Amino acid sequence: MAGRAQILTSPVADVPLARSFGWAWWIALLTSGALVLLLGYTLVTVTILGVGVWGVNIPFVWGFDLINYAWWIGIANGASLFAASLVLRRHDLRTAVNRFAEGVAFFAVICAGIFPIFHLGRPWLFYWVFPYPATFQVWPQFRSTLTWDFWAISTHAIVTSLLWYVGLIPDLATLRDRARNRNVKRIYGVFALGWRGSIRHWAYHQRAYRLVAILVLPLILIMQSTVAFEFAVTLVPDWHETRQPLHFVATGLAQGLSIVLLVAVLLRWALRLERFIDEGDVDLLGRLVLASALVSGYLYLDEIAAAVLADPLTRQATFARMTGDYAGFYWAAIVYSVLIPQLFWLRVARQSTIAGIFVGLSIGIGVWLDRFSIIIGGLQTDHLPSIWRSYTPTLPEWGLFLGTIGLFASLILLFIRFLPVVSMFETRHDEHLEKSG
Amino acid sequence: MAQLFTQTASNAFRVLIVLSLLASAGAVLLGYVWARSDAVWNVGKPAPQPVPFRHDLHTGSLGIDCRYCHTNVERAADAGMPSAQTCMSCHSQVWTGASILEPVRSSLVLGQPISWASVHRLPDFAYFNHAAHVTRGVACETCHGRVDQMTRTVKTQTMSMGWCLECHRDPAPHLRPREEVFTMGYEPHRESLPDDVRAFYSEARQRLTSCNTCHR
Repeated sequence: MAGRAQILTSPVADVPLARSFGWAWWIALLTSGALVLLLGYTLVTVTILGVGVWGVNIPFVWGFDLINYAWWIGIANGASLFAASLVLRRHDLRTAVNRFAEGVAFFAVICAGIFPIFHLGRPWLFYWVFPYPATFQVWPQFRSTLTWDFWAISTHAIVTSLLWYVGLIPDLATLRDRARNRNVKRIYGVFALGWRGSIRHWAYHQRAYRLVAILVLPLILIMQSTVAFEFAVTLVPDWHETRQPLHFVATGLAQGLSIVLLVAVLLRWALRLERFIDEGDVDLLGRLVLASALVSGYLYLDEIAAAVLADPLTRQATFARMTGDYAGFYWAAIVYSVLIPQLFWLRVARQSTIAGIFVGLSIGIGVWLDRFSIIIGGLQTDHLPSIWRSYTPTLPEWGLFLGTIGLFASLILLFIRFLPVVSMFETRHDEHLEKSG
Repeated sequence: MAQLFTQTASNAFRVLIVLSLLASAGAVLLGYVWARSDAVWNVGKPAPQPVPFRHDLHTGSLGIDCRYCHTNVERAADAGMPSAQTCMSCHSQVWTGASILEPVRSSLVLGQPISWASVHRLPDFAYFNHAAHVTRGVACETCHGRVDQMTRTVKTQTMSMGWCLECHRDPAPHLRPREEVFTMGYEPHRESLPDDVRAFYSEARQRLTSCNTCHR
């Protein structure tokens, strides 16, 4: 039995244990590493010179910082909501995609967290939003969206990292047992926390894993709504709407799923994991992406309907977003995140790597454009005509955005290099069930 | 297969986990205590001054009124520091040859103010008005301590925002009748403040703790 289990998952375990990983990985890591350097440079710049280096100004106090924050947190929410529901439903798909869906969620939270901290202007004082007994004897303003960000991101980081790490423990033990080099053995051994695979261990592990997964479900809905409330609680006509949380949750889920799909097809192709992420898995993921894109489409229709029924000011603001200077972003968002995914009605497209990459990227871009449209286009027709102007991101803002993409890619690359990308213990469990059933 | 980690190593790891938890709790506690320590707020630490001025001598022994030197304290935000002329109104007669008073004399001759080092400097974003406090019964002693006993002038209070708020949240117990504002070593008694004044300040609480009272 042990011998068979070893053969089953050895392609997955061999990857992190391999001595070298080929030049393609190095080139990819160097490229994304260069972007991480760019990120460091832009962060140091904004820390020293202040947020004046960004293109933000009244009324556009939130430019790229909040667009990218909302975008990354959407990926994190979508991916972890998906991963948690798979764990809870004990769905077959979890064996294939859970590990990196959790990873994607965790890395996206890290990227998301950078923006709110640095848009403070004095990032070194970020801990002021935490309610600790300070010598100035005032609590943070709990009605401020800034403190909501703090709770959203910190809770998110804790829960997604827990979900990811708890799932990793048995596989870290497998890597520890299978590694040949003694130091490598020790490193994996420390992180495996003395896992011996006894029945007691497994019982605790299942309980812990499902407990964290249950925590994720309400959390994600609340967190994504929190991001939406940051806009909804303001008096800006286009933002001040109750449908905002729904819009963010639904488009965020589509975005998270699309990035999971993107990573899934890329990993499957690059690491030749067809056996673990089989056609059925990719097909199912494609269907989910399609379904979530349809929900996004429904919400875009709902937006138009809500605007028609709304008071004149809101109607004017929403239509200004659809037809004004930034209308291109709005319509492009619909094309990218709703229309292009319709390709997945075709079975061939769902199972194709190229189409998977194409649609995955397309929804990612579409939701980014949607966030841009809401945050920038939504402010175009504010109450005061005297402050109607336009927003253009500056070079440091682009650098920051590209930098976080580089950080995300680097983390993914390091993750596939040193950790099993597919859950080995879940795969063994499934194969065992199939054999006995 | 031999065990990867010895029993000692495993135990050490467990101890390390517990210790790191204790250490982080300790670090938080240490931070809490440190942030409130006098050293952080420079309490009791004299600043290097151009002239070794002694408040204990001038106010304590000679009984010169605070307002003789800090002339603006009842009228302006800044209490004001004495000009060389003020010092020389006495020192043209007493201690005329003292070398420690050389900066005062040269200040008078050159028309350059003496560069006193501030002991109670507040950050720029905090607005403080001496007149507003002094004319409403906040005594010198309440914030500056027993200046009349200080050989070298030092802070006796932290001047932290929390310290300001302690009084702003409930000013009445800290207030004195106006004639006692410049008294040192005053013993407060409940009857000294009329009831209507107490009632006024318990209502003023909201206004006194509003952000823009001090951060304008």
